[in-house]
Amino acid sequence: MARVLVLGYGNPLLCDDGLGWQVAVQLFRANASPDVEVLPCHQLTPELAEPVSRAEVVLFVDCRRDGNPGEFYCEELCPESAPVAFTHHLSPTALLDLSSELYGACPKAYLVSICGESFETGEALSPAVERRLPELKARLHHLITDALAGSMAAH
Amino acid sequence: MEEATRKTIVIDPVTRIEGHAKITLHLNEDGRVEDARFHVTQFRGFEKFCEGRPFSEMPALMARICGICPVSHLIASAKACDALLAVRIPPTADKLRRIFGLAQVVQSHALSFFYLSSPDLLLGMDADPAKTSLFGVLAEKQELARDGIRLRQFGQQIIERLGGKRIHPAWVVPGGVSEPLSQLNRDAILAGIPEVLKIAERTLEWFKSVVERFREEVATFGNFPTLFLGIVKKDGGLTFYDGGIRIVNAAGDVVANGLDPADYQQYIGEKVESWTYLKSPYYMPTGYPEGIYRVGPLARMNVADRCGTPRADQELAEFHELQRTAVLSSFHYHHARLIEILYCVERMEQLLNDPEILSKHVRAFARPNSPEGVGCCEAPRGTLFHHYKIDEQGLIRWANLIIATGHNNMAMNRGILQVAKHFVRGERLTPGMLNRVEALIRAYDPCLSCSTHAWGEMPLVVELHSPSGEILDEVRRPC
Repeated sequence: MARVLVLGYGNPLLCDDGLGWQVAVQLFRANASPDVEVLPCHQLTPELAEPVSRAEVVLFVDCRRDGNPGEFYCEELCPESAPVAFTHHLSPTALLDLSSELYGACPKAYLVSICGESFETGEALSPAVERRLPELKARLHHLITDALAGSMAAH
Repeated sequence: MEEATRKTIVIDPVTRIEGHAKITLHLNEDGRVEDARFHVTQFRGFEKFCEGRPFSEMPALMARICGICPVSHLIASAKACDALLAVRIPPTADKLRRIFGLAQVVQSHALSFFYLSSPDLLLGMDADPAKTSLFGVLAEKQELARDGIRLRQFGQQIIERLGGKRIHPAWVVPGGVSEPLSQLNRDAILAGIPEVLKIAERTLEWFKSVVERFREEVATFGNFPTLFLGIVKKDGGLTFYDGGIRIVNAAGDVVANGLDPADYQQYIGEKVESWTYLKSPYYMPTGYPEGIYRVGPLARMNVADRCGTPRADQELAEFHELQRTAVLSSFHYHHARLIEILYCVERMEQLLNDPEILSKHVRAFARPNSPEGVGCCEAPRGTLFHHYKIDEQGLIRWANLIIATGHNNMAMNRGILQVAKHFVRGERLTPGMLNRVEALIRAYDPCLSCSTHAWGEMPLVVELHSPSGEILDEVRRPC
């Protein structure tokens, strides 16, 4: 059973929105560790609560729309039971809450993200996001390494 | 405002991505609903931009129409390509495609029933909108939420095991499928079946225990006579993969049987209305609009004589007892959907235990042998047609798609009018009124992306119009 779950999400046909998807696909192809499960997905859906509940650490990768294009964030997440009008897709914190409520397990979780610049139709990331991509990947690598070493500290 | 939005949709590609559906309710002088329309104002594009592409790309391309039911588009498209190749696909490929399609139905129906409609059924139509979500279900009846998630996960995992990925798998190809099923995957799927069978059975029992609370909704949610259309096997049994088109009337009598799906243009007309991008298909011998028909779970239960699996057959027999005629209320789409989940699970078990299912011969190869091909299957929401014409180089020259939501367009419009006439009063939309109008649409489980072949999110807008055309109230819901 994988100890670290990486969930990269977004629409790869909407430029920067596909950041999480693209990162997860690259990581999925490169990943050889049975301790790391990588799931590229278009949206965070309720079914993901089950694999989330099985992980020790969950790393969400996304592109955010608020903030200045190219800004990089890495934040620890806590479950949040905010009202959700529609449940085709969820926020990371709502997914953690669902995992906790349904399966009684809420792993440590982080969201690594970059503010996007373009959400138009297209497969290319904007220059602002491309510039910070190496930093995001490096942070993701560190988070995975720390999680596997059992030394998850504040990032 | 309305005109400006429409222009933007046509001209601006950003709006095409956003898209939206809108309901307008027109009041008479007494403040009662006189007319209602369900407008789908998304741009219809896939049929045009596939022109010039090699036909072999069509299944993967068409699957992009929808993130919920890509498998149905893959299957219908691949069947149309099989017709272009004029090949008979290997028996194992046929069975594997069937399993793929059944898994798709399970996950799609689970989404519709548990994620979208169970909050209404559990908490009531007048419940606080802030609570009418899967989280509301979770708080009230955790087992129901858990079951829904498990069923959807089960369907998706099968799609992933067969197709390599959950969304937009390209495993179904012209001539068959690209890879055989491994024993490991076969056994893993079979291992999950007892659990999901129990889920399907207890959900059906739960639904039947609560449906009595919704007598008023059953009576007014699209409860009117129409035709029903679906494909059935030669023996009249339920099928999602192939068969002849059967049409029954509101009395439950078969008015057409064994129609070749390839001849659909001889009996299905498509009416274009100025206020929506969604065409209105109708049964041509009866004419427009009298040829209104419904497709999808309710229609399939009405056209099928039997399911062909033990538990689902019991449930279907009980379902047919609901009404001496065809079952007319669209509220019963929910019931039909649950029977279909049960059938799909049972049928997958039968197919997976077939000795041929692990055969490595899963694809036939050929060059194009026919300039035209039609593929038809039953998608979760109803009968799906893909029709292509190619040139001598195998490039697509023309394509036409008829999607389940399109078939149901007239019935949805009429249903909205019926439910609005019954529940909407005055110049303001209360949450209960709004929810019932929406719940009627949810019963059909329409997929607007599919039906217009567009991309993007579809917020729903409901407008209440005075006799003079003034907008009295407007409510927007994200979709």
